[in-house]
Formats: sequence, structure tokens, C-alpha cells
Amino acid sequence: MSGPVLVVVERRGRDPVRSSLEAIGAARNLAGGTGLVAVLLGSDLEPAARIVASLGASKVITVPDRRFDTFHAALWAGAVVSMAQELLVSTIVVAGTTNGRQLTGRLAARWGAAAVSGVTEIASTPEGVLVALRPIFSGRAIQEVRLEGPRRVVGLRPNAFPEPDASGPVGTVEEHPVPELGSTPALGQRIAFEGAAAGAGPDLAEATVIVSGGRGLKAPENFRLLEELAASLGGAVGASRAVTDSGWKPTSYQIGQTGRTVSPQLYIAVGISGAIQHLVGMISSRTIVAINSDPNAPIFKVADYGVVGDLFQIVPALTAEIRKVRGI
Amino acid sequence: MEILVLVKPVPDPETRLRPNAAGTGLDTEGVKWVLAGYDESAVEQALLLKEAIAGSHVRAVAFGPAPRTEEILRSALALGCDAATWAEASGEQALDPLLAAQALAQACSTGPVELVLVGKQALDDEAGLVGPAVAERLGIADYGPVVDLRWDVSAGQFTFARAIEGGLERMTAPAPMLVCLQQAWNDPRTAKLQNVLKARRTAIDRAPALSAPSAPEAAASSARISGFRLPPPRTGAKMIEYKTPQEAAEKLVRLLRDEAKTLP
Ligand SMILES: Cc1cc2nc3c(=O)[nH]c(=O)nc-3n(C[C@H](O)[C@H](O)[C@H](O)COP(=O)(O)OP(=O)(O)OC[C@H]3O[C@@H](n4cnc5c(N)ncnc54)[C@H](O)[C@@H]3O)c2cc1C
Ligand SMILES: Nc1ncnc2c1ncn2[C@@H]1O[C@H](COP(=O)(O)O)[C@@H](O)[C@H]1O
Repeated sequence: MSGPVLVVVERRGRDPVRSSLEAIGAARNLAGGTGLVAVLLGSDLEPAARIVASLGASKVITVPDRRFDTFHAALWAGAVVSMAQELLVSTIVVAGTTNGRQLTGRLAARWGAAAVSGVTEIASTPEGVLVALRPIFSGRAIQEVRLEGPRRVVGLRPNAFPEPDASGPVGTVEEHPVPELGSTPALGQRIAFEGAAAGAGPDLAEATVIVSGGRGLKAPENFRLLEELAASLGGAVGASRAVTDSGWKPTSYQIGQTGRTVSPQLYIAVGISGAIQHLVGMISSRTIVAINSDPNAPIFKVADYGVVGDLFQIVPALTAEIRKVRGI
Repeated sequence: MEILVLVKPVPDPETRLRPNAAGTGLDTEGVKWVLAGYDESAVEQALLLKEAIAGSHVRAVAFGPAPRTEEILRSALALGCDAATWAEASGEQALDPLLAAQALAQACSTGPVELVLVGKQALDDEAGLVGPAVAERLGIADYGPVVDLRWDVSAGQFTFARAIEGGLERMTAPAPMLVCLQQAWNDPRTAKLQNVLKARRTAIDRAPALSAPSAPEAAASSARISGFRLPPPRTGAKMIEYKTPQEAAEKLVRLLRDEAKTLP
């Protein structure tokens, strides 16, 4: 691998999103001595650029232009490919955010690069071939993909790579005029954002801990128990379809075949039986805990740790214990 | 409106996965190929739009080998698509998302392109690469993951929401565009028997053969799948023995902290 590695950094507000920091961490290992360049697009980029420069990027390029404040894959891909060509980049690393997922294929087609997405592990061979692992079939199989060409785009899976620490030299921050974007198609407009309630904790897609509830909760107000447990862990709350179908929680909470697919470090399934349609949405979580009163519930077959018992007794005890050990 | 929907044949979700002899892919012996997951939602969305927009027409497009690709196009026809285009490929070629995107873009551009619907990701390879790559090749905008897609007749534009981190981003956009569908939260319809029979007789159009990429282009853009394996089986949970809820909580927290190392 000859040219530098480029990372596309996304922000929420003024801060880089966590998945982008994970991308810096992954790219740092791949770049070795060839240099790591981070690119930020949009307005008010300076605060995020400073953070990224302290985390191992040798150079941080800011492209200040309001047009990038709304994510448009076509526009972002145009700018990033232009930068990659100018900097003779060999590899572009993209975070596993929803925008990142939309960008990866578009970048690859535009740049004429090989691409792989949803990567959980990646390494470079001495010959400079990138070898990536990615879970497929809802985590029921693992695929190995080799990228041998001179240009490659690597899309990551969220929560798979550690955030880098701020050791080592601080990189430079440079402002770059908007690069040649090439032909840009007619674009849409963002008209509103319906956010989750403030203080609702992290989004399911980004959460490192998810506490998920099923029909065993018995009533919507009992979700308060799970919200407290999730808060004690800095996590998010999810649900089975039995819960969303009953209207106890909106469909955005649903995890499974017809809901979201998540892969947190820790998934705690509470009062969920473990139907296959639920399992496909969470099976690639790193550690799975099940709390269920039925010792024969199928969830125990996929869990790492199981507690057979009444959730109304176990969950409050668990929240109290976690608060104790975490000192909160 | 001319609506194109891209559908990929995938192994039935109930398939027992086994690696092939070379250990590079799924052993496809005896696999049942189906229209499923996000693509089923994409077809449902196409049909809902067709019902809502007078004079519209839905064409299903697929890239892949016989007979499975033809069969899933017939499933799409049976659900209510008006026409189908098949871009033939070998089983090997069908594994390459960027090659699929090239062929699909070519197949789409034989007629007018106003709206292209694809799944957010295919149920098997979960790449999520094909949609955005098709949009790039067609030179149109792409949005995803999209829910709640409608056509606003009076404004002459689409309205939809992107399901992104932290909430829903409401957008409007003009045609032409490509959307990667998150989900039709409404359950996809099932085909009526008479339509299944009719679909068997409908002619499937053939896309022009894929023009082979030049050697350097192919080398630059090809990713080689070199391994396929099953994760170590989950052996069943370590069950926590306890007398009081407090004891269960203490034991669990200790295991998460010291053994699994996943307590934040
Ligand atoms: C096409 C299709 C798609 C689907 N998609 C999804 C999907 O995306 N996501 C999804 O989740 N499901 C999905 N389902 C539904 C799925 O099959 C199950 O019906 C659903 O997951 C069951 O939800 P549950 O585990 O909450 O409820 P149940 O199966 O009713 O389980 C409740 C559990 O709570 C336990 N319990 C009860 N009381 C207590 C207590 N006091 N303490 C502890 N435990 C208790 C019980 O022992 C039981 O195991 C889908 C189904 C179909 C057919
Ligand atoms: N071979 C194919 N034929 C038709 N459509 C496809 C094919 N491969 C992928 N697609 C479409 O692109 C989406 C994303 O696929 P993938 O990038 O493989 O995850 C699918 O949900 C389909 O809508």
C-alpha cells in the first residue's frame, strides 16, 4: 500500500460522531507510516478538526461549505473522491453510520475502487493486500474479503473498533477550498428533523449497551425499569415486536428481522422469549445476557449469561448493583 | 411514473448455512432462493406507489444466474409488478456487488429512469453497496435508509424520511432518484394464486449483455471473497445460580466485568 489512508469524519453538532472516531482508530492501524488524512465537510468544522488531529490523524483537512451540512451521498462522494485523487490516497475508510453506509458504495463506484462494507476486523498483509472480515447472514456466517487493487473503500461496522487514544503527535489542520465536485444530480432538501426526546440516551445503532424488553414487561409503564437499567450503563432501550405491535413503544425501538439490526458490546434481553425473528437482529452482539422466568426460553440458547427469574425482582437489583460498582 | 425495483434472489432465511468445499462461500446445493427481507419491502413500496399514482408502471430488475433469478422475477410479477428485466450472470459474478451495480444500472437505463427502489441491504451479503453504486452510475441522487415514501402530486416531488441516528430526517426530493428502503412497516402482501399463474406466462425481458470492464478497471474495482465460515456455535448460556435477586445481580455484574469484559 503506497498512498495515505483517508477517513471521512462525520459530526453531530460540533463533535465528531463516535463511529468516526472508531474509523480513525481502524485507519491508524492500516496507515502505518503512509499517513492518515481525515476530511471534514460542512460549516463550523474547527472544534471537531482539533479533536481528530489529536487522535492520530497526521493531517486534518476541513472543507468549509454549508452545502455539506445536509448529507447528500452524491455531493459528499464528489468531494471525497476529488480529495482522494488530489492526495493520491490508496484507501478510504468510512464509519458505519447510516450516512457512511450510504456513502461507501457511491464512493467506490465513483472512484473505480474495490469496496467492502460492514467490516469488523481488517489487516494489511506485508504485500499491502487488505484482508477484511465481515459478518453476513445476520451474523450466522463470517465472510473474508481481500482487496488487492490500488484503490479501496472500507466501510466499518459500528462498535467493532476501539476509539483511539490521544497519545502521539498532534496532526495539522488545513482548510481546503471546495474541490471540483464533478457533475452533481438534482438533490432533495431536508425539511425537518424529528429527533428522539432529549436525554433519551444514545441511539440504538450507536449504543454500546442495549437493554431490550419483551412482552414479559406486561405493561408499557414497566419500561421505566429498563430505562433505569439502561441509564446506569449509558445504554439505549430496545424492544421485541410483541412490544411495538402492542403500541407500548414506537416501531423505531423494534429489533429483529422487520426492525433494526444491532451489534452492541452488551445486549440484555429482558422478558423476551428469543424467537428467531428477534434473534437475527441482535445475534452479533458481543455479549448477550438473558433474564427470563422460563428456563426453557430459547433466548438462553444464544445468551452468554442467563438469569432465570422474575424480571421485576432481578432488574431493579441489577440496576442498583451497577450503580454501586460504577459509583453513580 | 416509471418505477424500477431491484430484487435479488437470496437463500431462504431458514436455510441451514454450510460452507462450500473451498471454504469461500455458501454451499448452494439444495438452497431455496426467495424474494425476501428489504427487497420484499421494496416491491411492496413500489406497488403502493403504483396504486397511488395514476398511470404508473412497475418493472422489477434482477442480476444473477438461471434459474433462481428468473424465478424471483416471477415472484415479483405475481405480486403485481407489470414487467421484468433479467440481466444474466454466472453464480460467481452474482457475488460481486459492484459488478451487479454496473449491470443493473445498464439494465435500468434502457428506459426512462424516474424512481429506482432497492433494499437497504440484501439479506445474504448485507453489503448495502449496490443501491448507491447504481445511483452513481445512473448519475442520480440516492437516499437511504428510507421509510414513508410518498409522491406529492401538487408539488411534483417525493416526500420521505431517512431513519438516521437519533431520529427521522424528513426530506423532499425531485425525480429522478434512487432510494434504499429501510422497511415497509406494513406487512408485504402475498401473491394471489391467479396472479402466480399469470406471472408464469409473462415474458421476461433480457438486458443487453454486460460490457466487460477493461482489465485495469476490473483489477482496481474487484474485491475477492476468500473465506466463508460459521462463527463458533454459541454453547448456551452460563446460568447464574442465586438465592436472592441481589446475589444474582452481584454475580452477573462480576462476570460481565471480569470475564466478558463488556461492562462499560
Ligand atoms: C414475518 C415476521 C417478522 C417478525 N419480525 C420480528 C422482529 O423484527 N422482532 C421481533 O422481536 N419479533 C419479530 N417477530 C415476532 C416473533 O416471532 C415473536 O413473536 C416476538 O419476538 C415475541 O416477542 P417477545 O419475546 O417479547 O414475546 P413472547 O414470545 O410472548 O415472550 C415473552 C417472554 O417473557 C417471559 N416473561 C414473562 N413474564 C416474565 C417475568 N415476570 N420475568 C421474566 N420473564 C418473563 C416469558 O417467559 C417469555 O419468554 C416477527 C414474526 C414474523 C412472523
Ligand atoms: N443481483 C441483484 N439483482 C437485483 N438487485 C440487486 C442485486 N444485488 C443487490 N440488489 C439490490 O441492492 C440492494 C442491496 O444489496 P447489497 O448491496 O448486496 O446489500 C438489494 O436489497 C437489492 O434491492
